[in-house]
Amino acid sequence: MILAWLIILLMVGGILAWIAGRFNANFARWIALLTTLASFLISISLWLNNPTTTVKATNWMMRYEVPWVPQWGVSFSLALDGLSLLMLLLTFFLGLLSILVSWREIKTKVGFFHFNILWVLAGISGVFLTMDLFLFYFFWEVMLIPMYFLIGIWGHANRMYAAYKFFIFTQASGLLMLLSILGLYFIHGSNTGSYTFNYFDLLGTTFPPAIGPWLMAGFLMAFLVKLPVVPFHSWLPDAHSEAPTAGSVILAGLLLKTGAYGLLRFVIPLFPEAAQAFAPWAMLLGVVGILYGAILAFSQTDLKRLIAYTSVSHMGFVILGVFSFNEWAFQGVVMQMITHGISTGALFIMAGFLYERLHTRDIRQMGGFWPAIPRMGVFASIFAMASLGLPGLGNFIAEFLTLVGSWQANNLLTIFATIGLVAATAYSLRILQKVFLGKNKAEHPLTDLSLREMSIALPLVVAILWLGLYPQPVLDRAKPSVDEQLEAYKKPTIKPEIPAQVTLQTLPADTVRLLNTKGGIHALK
Amino acid sequence: MTGSLFYFLTFLTLFAALGVVFSKNPVYSVLFLILTFFSLSGHYILLNAQFVAAVNIIVYAGAIMVLFLFVIMFLNLNMDTEQAQKKSVLTKVAGAISGGLLLVIMIAVLKDAEVGSYDPENFDSQIGLVENLGHLLFTKYLLPFELASVLFLVAMVGAVMLGKKETQQRHF
Amino acid sequence: MRLSDLYFLMPLLILVGAATLNMLVVAVKRNHKVIFGITIVAHLVAVFTLLQLNGSSYQIPPFFVMDGWGIFNLGLILLTSLFVTLLSYAYFEQREERKEEYYLLLILATLGACVLVISQHFMALFLGLEILSVALYSLIAYLRTRERSDEAGIKYLILAALSSAFLLFGMALVYAVTGTMSFPEIGVYLQSVSELPLLLLTGFGLMIVGIGFKLGIVPFHMWAPDVYEGAPAPVTAFIATVSKGGMMGLLIRFFSQADAYRYANLMLIFTIIAIASMLAGNLLALRQKNIKRLLAYSSIAHLGYILVAFLAGNRLGVEAVSFYLVAYFITSLGAFGVVALLSDTERDADQLEDYRGLFWRRPATAAVFTAMLLSLAGIPLTAGFVGKFYILASGVNTQQWLLVLMLVLNSVIGLYYYIKVIAAMFAQTKSVQERRKVLHPALSFASGGAMAILGLLLIWIGVYPTSLVQLIRGLLATFMTTF
Repeated sequence: MILAWLIILLMVGGILAWIAGRFNANFARWIALLTTLASFLISISLWLNNPTTTVKATNWMMRYEVPWVPQWGVSFSLALDGLSLLMLLLTFFLGLLSILVSWREIKTKVGFFHFNILWVLAGISGVFLTMDLFLFYFFWEVMLIPMYFLIGIWGHANRMYAAYKFFIFTQASGLLMLLSILGLYFIHGSNTGSYTFNYFDLLGTTFPPAIGPWLMAGFLMAFLVKLPVVPFHSWLPDAHSEAPTAGSVILAGLLLKTGAYGLLRFVIPLFPEAAQAFAPWAMLLGVVGILYGAILAFSQTDLKRLIAYTSVSHMGFVILGVFSFNEWAFQGVVMQMITHGISTGALFIMAGFLYERLHTRDIRQMGGFWPAIPRMGVFASIFAMASLGLPGLGNFIAEFLTLVGSWQANNLLTIFATIGLVAATAYSLRILQKVFLGKNKAEHPLTDLSLREMSIALPLVVAILWLGLYPQPVLDRAKPSVDEQLEAYKKPTIKPEIPAQVTLQTLPADTVRLLNTKGGIHALK
Repeated sequence: MTGSLFYFLTFLTLFAALGVVFSKNPVYSVLFLILTFFSLSGHYILLNAQFVAAVNIIVYAGAIMVLFLFVIMFLNLNMDTEQAQKKSVLTKVAGAISGGLLLVIMIAVLKDAEVGSYDPENFDSQIGLVENLGHLLFTKYLLPFELASVLFLVAMVGAVMLGKKETQQRHF
Repeated sequence: MRLSDLYFLMPLLILVGAATLNMLVVAVKRNHKVIFGITIVAHLVAVFTLLQLNGSSYQIPPFFVMDGWGIFNLGLILLTSLFVTLLSYAYFEQREERKEEYYLLLILATLGACVLVISQHFMALFLGLEILSVALYSLIAYLRTRERSDEAGIKYLILAALSSAFLLFGMALVYAVTGTMSFPEIGVYLQSVSELPLLLLTGFGLMIVGIGFKLGIVPFHMWAPDVYEGAPAPVTAFIATVSKGGMMGLLIRFFSQADAYRYANLMLIFTIIAIASMLAGNLLALRQKNIKRLLAYSSIAHLGYILVAFLAGNRLGVEAVSFYLVAYFITSLGAFGVVALLSDTERDADQLEDYRGLFWRRPATAAVFTAMLLSLAGIPLTAGFVGKFYILASGVNTQQWLLVLMLVLNSVIGLYYYIKVIAAMFAQTKSVQERRKVLHPALSFASGGAMAILGLLLIWIGVYPTSLVQLIRGLLATFMTTF
């Protein structure tokens, strides 16, 4: 029940903030802040009340289910496991920061702005929690509309175009997913006689071999567009660069993660055979994304657009890891989701701070700011280092684990992916060099970070350091869920010949994978 | 008696119909058309369909023909305008072709048509009488009958509403 | 004709009675409020008597049948007409034309639609259709002094008369072949023949012209944009909902009673029509700057969506049609209601420019309109989403992949222009734009209340569709026993 309350709390808070905003802008801000804080505290208490050490029969910490449309087999079904909990924490953490960051930036229609923020957060939490495919689609779409408004109303100059593009891309792919969900529903129904959208029931549905790949394709479309993977990425740079800072943070930090989460939670366990057949192509897409994103990032002049392309590059690691089907890679993916959320969110926040001072996002007009604003310089360089994967910071752990995992699945592509790390170094250092070093181009004196801005940046630094130095709690937390997603791949029923690995001439993947998942556990502890 | 009446009516119908086509004055044409309708109604009566006969006279000969006359008078068509209009050869050819085609089709259709045979055993001579029709209308078909009255009501209200002059209206 | 027939025809009788009463009142003294009140009360009483009939299945041979499907459609039509009436008061109050006849014609048009949905005989069908059409001719041209209303009225008159002629001819052919005009008996005849006779197919084809015209589906859709634009906003709402819904109800009754779903060539015709309607409606709507025209094209597309569920031809399909009709009616009423609310004495608020920055001027109205547009686009939290989901489900269930994929593609195209309107409403007006004067800034209670109820219904059905699904299933139980 507490899971439902989390979502209801955010929605009610949103409405209250909207109403309060009509009277006083600050009321709206405070209501939004307190609501998100309350949600954050609830999820922390969930973490504390469910220690990972206790061995339980199931890795689901809690489930909540009430019938919703019983005639169709739709239930309001929420469930929490380690993965969901981690994602929830990330959601509320970034949610808090995005509200704080808009405190001064947003001056018009404050109430409606916070309504949208809270409803995006509610939609995202719903996506991370729900275990009913109908409800999942429902939340999947619910988070789009407020996001559309965030970009379309409070964005920069070209905001309408960006908002359109974002909405239509995600909506189109979402509808394809809906078709797949329906296909799954009817196939499961005709197989077993019970028509239901429940995730747990649908797990292990067997398809006619001709249909499985098509159904998976529907899901993949939605998630790959959201992630985004390269041929479908073109909405992202526009949406990121035109959105207000809070919008960019939520987009990069959370919305992209719903795609990754969907891959882990739905595609992998629901369609084991089709996913394995698709794996080499998916990994190839991932590597292409890593390199393509990095190259484009290097050549951007718009700071936010640059950061957006780094997201494309980083998300390439996610799909690379997901389709490696082993625990190392999955842990890496989970870490990548969290650390990328934090580090990219932080970079967008930095870009927002700079924009507030300079009123431009063009890095050709920046340079030599370090002496003027050293504090911001320090923070920005930490985040840039995180983004390039410096050991000691969270992203390093994530990318390292992903690459270790993917090496076992596919050597060649992993080597190419590693080149992406080098490219990441190049573009991250380029940001620092162009903005903070070199000749001072500031036309008027800049003010350094204020107390409010410091209090936004500091938690991010703490989080990224903690994840880099002591990631064990996160890994422990994610482990049971990760194992569960891999369940279908450990069964001996898997066909020995997996065309992917065979064509790319690696070791017989199955044996390697099974050995390594065992080894992986030891290595992580 | 009936036989000679039938031939007389047939002759009258054909004569009047040809008169519609061949008379130069449009008003004469219309008058001939009315005559055609009357003689057709005579045929209906011969077929024991008094109701259809009455309706034919009221609706076609009465209402519609009066409208025709009005229109012709409004347009002020007379022999001069009729002759002034040059009919092109093309029109004539087209008319001949379409008329010929119609004839061909009619022949093709009617060639194989079977006329329903007359069955004196089950013949109900009362079937077309007004009394029976009225009886049916007020029993079995009462609901459609009432609905038709509603339809007329709608048409009437609509026509009056649209046709009435508003006090401040500027059109017309 | 039995006495108990009267009991089952009570909703229709009440409408006729109300029309007569209205006429008498007009004859004594013209008073907008009184006529409005009578109309509202008549609708409420009709709905109330309808509730008493719930669960019954009653034949009035050979013309009418009062089964679940009929009762569902009657209820839908009566309630929709009630909302149209509520929205009309404020709209017509600011206009100088005589207002009272409007309600008379509206009631009778509703009656025509009601006759349509319970008829199971060509004769009743045709009379119902004509009552509806004739009433609409004058309703469309009601505001005679408007520039486009004559054009719209004449256009509708000619095309509707033409399509009626087609329908009649088709019915005559069907009668010639089968020797009967009642749907169930046509079904019996069809059972006896293995192949559809060519003449009968021709008859059905001609009837599709007549039906297609009323539904406004491609290629019989040409009238829709002009008529939508020229008619007064509440009448447009009526055309978009009651007129189309009545015809849809009839179509499904005919197909299920005559069991015409079996014929592949008929289904093929409808498949082509459905795809063409979806595509043409959405593509033509893309470049519209006029809201009423945009909604007209969108309604063409939506009828195409409904046909997808209709083509499923099973119980789930009919359920989906019913659900979608409810959702679509609420949405259309809401959308045209907003247009009616914003209109002034000169013209209807039908330009996109009228809506620019509306959210910051009139947030509540804009919020309702946004919800309605999102529902048309099929976004969750609104009834339109659940409806579209239902249709997709019925399409996937019968594995009509082409239709389903076209529906998805068209939803995306449709999204573009719905968003365009929403974006305009949320746009920040640069200069303080000169506000168009709205005659009744304090919204008339009826319109405001109706809009609020519609908005709430929309969200309620979107979030908790269970009870509506329950209701539809319960009502269909007495209709589709054969499925």
